[in-house]
Amino acid sequence: MKKIVLYLIVACCFLVKASAQDDLLKDLVKDDSAKVKHDFATATFKSTRIINMQSVEMTGAGNLQFMISHRFGQIWKEGKGWTNVAQLFGLNAGAANTYMSFEYAPKSWLNLGFAATGNAQLESWAKFRLIRQQSGAKNVPVTVSLFSSVHFDGSDGPSPDDFAWNRFSYLNQLLIGRKFNDKFSLQLIPSWIHYNMVPYGINNTNNVFSIGIGGRYKLTHKTAISFEYARQLNGYKDLLDESASAVNYVPDLVSIGYDWDTGGHIFQFFFTSSNAATNIAQLAQNTNDLRLGNFSLGFNLNRSYGIKKVVNTP
Amino acid sequence: MKKIILLAFTFIFMMNLLNAQTYKTRDGYVYFNPNKDLTHKDYEAASKEGTGILKAETGEVAFLVPMKTFHFNNALLEEHFNENYLESNKFPDARFSGKLIGFSKDQLTKDGVYNISSEGKVTMHGVTKDFKAPVKLEVKGKVATFYCNFKISAEDHGINIPGLVKPKLADLTPIDATIKFQLN
Repeated sequence: MKKIVLYLIVACCFLVKASAQDDLLKDLVKDDSAKVKHDFATATFKSTRIINMQSVEMTGAGNLQFMISHRFGQIWKEGKGWTNVAQLFGLNAGAANTYMSFEYAPKSWLNLGFAATGNAQLESWAKFRLIRQQSGAKNVPVTVSLFSSVHFDGSDGPSPDDFAWNRFSYLNQLLIGRKFNDKFSLQLIPSWIHYNMVPYGINNTNNVFSIGIGGRYKLTHKTAISFEYARQLNGYKDLLDESASAVNYVPDLVSIGYDWDTGGHIFQFFFTSSNAATNIAQLAQNTNDLRLGNFSLGFNLNRSYGIKKVVNTP
Repeated sequence: MKKIILLAFTFIFMMNLLNAQTYKTRDGYVYFNPNKDLTHKDYEAASKEGTGILKAETGEVAFLVPMKTFHFNNALLEEHFNENYLESNKFPDARFSGKLIGFSKDQLTKDGVYNISSEGKVTMHGVTKDFKAPVKLEVKGKVATFYCNFKISAEDHGINIPGLVKPKLADLTPIDATIKFQLN
């Protein structure tokens, strides 16, 4: 009897030992320290732009991004007939807006940018990431960024000796984005545009508001379809300037695009209902009626350079 | 009779205690540079958040690195690494489990450098492969550091590298792992 009990117990010992062997990795997986504490949603959009508008995506810390973007002429101008074909559907219409920008990220939550576009228009901006979509220790459903830009009109206006101060306008946007799954992301974009000066007349306003929505759907790892819609809420109807000529802007901005990520560059090709290059002109001074022929072809091309070493490597 | 049973139970208890002589770490360092020409550093990346567990009695080890803890100098490459190549949302970590060969727990009590090796299985991107590599163990004071350099083929793990990038990368990616255990 004694012996049997002893044998049983020794056998038990080995059993305990044997079963403990297989579970090492399982222990590790169960262990909290093996999990990422904050599982941030990455790559909500392919680029720092959805199409025209800024996305919640940031240039990474220590990276410099160069972007060149083009908006060509309208694909089919009314009344021009076959000339439109000769002009390659706006590609060669002699009216392309080029927008060149540099963005640098001193911190992962901060992007600083500078851009220049046709007719001496200069822009400078900061994009702050306020909240990041994440799961894990904390659950946050959306990424929220604040985009704030200053626009300077350096062109020969009606009065070139105008106060420089009068040539400034501002755009403040809240970017509220959510990555719903690996493929689908959506972003809400309320905007507030402020002009330091507007023409003396009726219905003109210094403050213009707009609300926009944008999104993307990934087709493959490297390609995606994107879309954008923005609606101007005030300051577009029956504006009378000082010479009493009436101006009507089109409050709708519609764009559809195709993103192509080549590994080094990100190309975004799109059709958009405004061929203006700056966000302020697109959102608040759009003169193109919503008609298919008024859409223009455009592209953004960006490349980022890691100019500061941020990773501790040998 | 009672005494023997009691003794035996104490024995079991002791055995378990001995078995439970495990060491853990949370700051395992893993570095790789997949460039064919190693003087090129554009695709290099490192994680310092690997977690490991070592069972001194049996020389069993397990190691796990969350993919999202690998950081690159160019944030865009990091995004591609997670989104396009490793699919980190689907396969959140790389895992190793196996045994140290030529290891004994006595090595941990004496300062010195020991050349041992390791055998086991690596799971990455949902594909499990056999693993075998030499390991250098350095024991100094109360710290045991395991150094392991090994090579992994991205292709074997089902990681698709596009033709444009492929000529720049080595067929086998050399990986350096440095895993420190605090002995107490």
